[in-house]
Amino acid sequence: MTAASKPADDLTPRSPRPARARRRKIIPVIIAVGAAAAVVVLAVNLVNGSLFFYDAKEAVARRPELGTDRFTLLGSPIEGTIVPGFEGDETVVAFTVSFDGVNVDVVHFGDPPDLFKAGVPVVLDGAWVNAPAAVDGFTGRETDGWHFASDRMRIKHDNNYKNGDRYSERIDKANQEGRVVATSIASGQ
Amino acid sequence: MTKLMTDDTIIDRQRGTGSRTTFWLGVVGLVGAIALVFLGFFVAPPDDFQKDAVRMIFIHVPMAILTYVAFSLTAIGSVAWLWKRSIWWDTVAHGAAEVGVMFSGLTLFTGSIWGRITWGTYWDWGDVRLVTTLILFLIMVGYLAVRSFDGDEAVNATRAAVIGLIGAANMPVVNRSVTWWSSRRTLHQKSSLVNGKIEGLTLFTLMFALVVFSIIMLWMLIHRFRISWLERQVSEGDLSEALTARRAEARAGMDRETEENK
Repeated sequence: MTAASKPADDLTPRSPRPARARRRKIIPVIIAVGAAAAVVVLAVNLVNGSLFFYDAKEAVARRPELGTDRFTLLGSPIEGTIVPGFEGDETVVAFTVSFDGVNVDVVHFGDPPDLFKAGVPVVLDGAWVNAPAAVDGFTGRETDGWHFASDRMRIKHDNNYKNGDRYSERIDKANQEGRVVATSIASGQ
Repeated sequence: MTKLMTDDTIIDRQRGTGSRTTFWLGVVGLVGAIALVFLGFFVAPPDDFQKDAVRMIFIHVPMAILTYVAFSLTAIGSVAWLWKRSIWWDTVAHGAAEVGVMFSGLTLFTGSIWGRITWGTYWDWGDVRLVTTLILFLIMVGYLAVRSFDGDEAVNATRAAVIGLIGAANMPVVNRSVTWWSSRRTLHQKSSLVNGKIEGLTLFTLMFALVVFSIIMLWMLIHRFRISWLERQVSEGDLSEALTARRAEARAGMDRETEENK
């Protein structure tokens, strides 16, 4: 009922806003407070550095300090070192990662990601184990008696998008050939 | 505002928020989207490493870029509102925030699926690129929530403008995170576009996707702006109606008193 259609002296108390309308008004407040709380929690988690990679070189250098604490290791699997196997009923894969010339033997528990392959960097969650990696057929590249036991693996691929067409390589080759031809013409050969 | 009650407005209401320009913009966007599906699935080649998963780039990257564009518009509109009290810019800021929230949500969603295929995980709570993007999304959800608060719209617009600027301040962190913390805190690769690491038909399709999604975003923004503008007019129209009714009520009361005194 609009104000215009009410008699001027109608002093009947107006009915309170229906419960559904009140609920509708409180929802944005709940969303805003929830979003603000989530932002604070996420930012604090980020500042605390819950994900921080040590590359293989740093991980080896900091081994006394890291002990058997969990940390995240970054390195590239070396070609020819990847050996799948089993530890009891569990699937494992053993390989050696390298960073800046420093190698670390790794035993990863569980299935690796689909794009896992030699030369593509991996990020591994796990800890140092003071024993050589014991997976059948795996010899490893590191002989210091330690290996890294991992239970979570992610691929950290680069930003190159190449396909069979290899445009840049063909353009580079054409430029190269063009220079050779131009030089030949210039020298009268 | 009372214009809303005229016959012209009734005709406008029947026509909705469309115009000849938005009609053709929509048609171009739709045809472009169909062409993009064809290009993305059948013409662009698979990647040497990622194989067919690379096709996610045609959605994920344009969504991410247009998220920045939308939230930048929100930031500009917020400044204009705080500085000049520009209702036009405030309406742009609001519309851009809505579209931006949708695009950033899709960026997170498509990125998560792509991450599962390539990285081997949907999400990592410590990854600086992923989490700062989520924070941006949540800040802008907060912006929209504040705009929906009960009470004075101008006060809500001012509060939301401040939140919009906080969101904008987060954008450079989101964008540069892959460079600042590349080898320490994120799985996300660096930009391929800026660094020229993408080529041929993949690059062409990506650019085409960017154009198509830009057209779609523009179409959405125009419609959202017009809806918001009409909403404002309706609410201001309602206010004018209520004031007129109160005045009439008061006049009737005074007339009656005068009659009684006679």
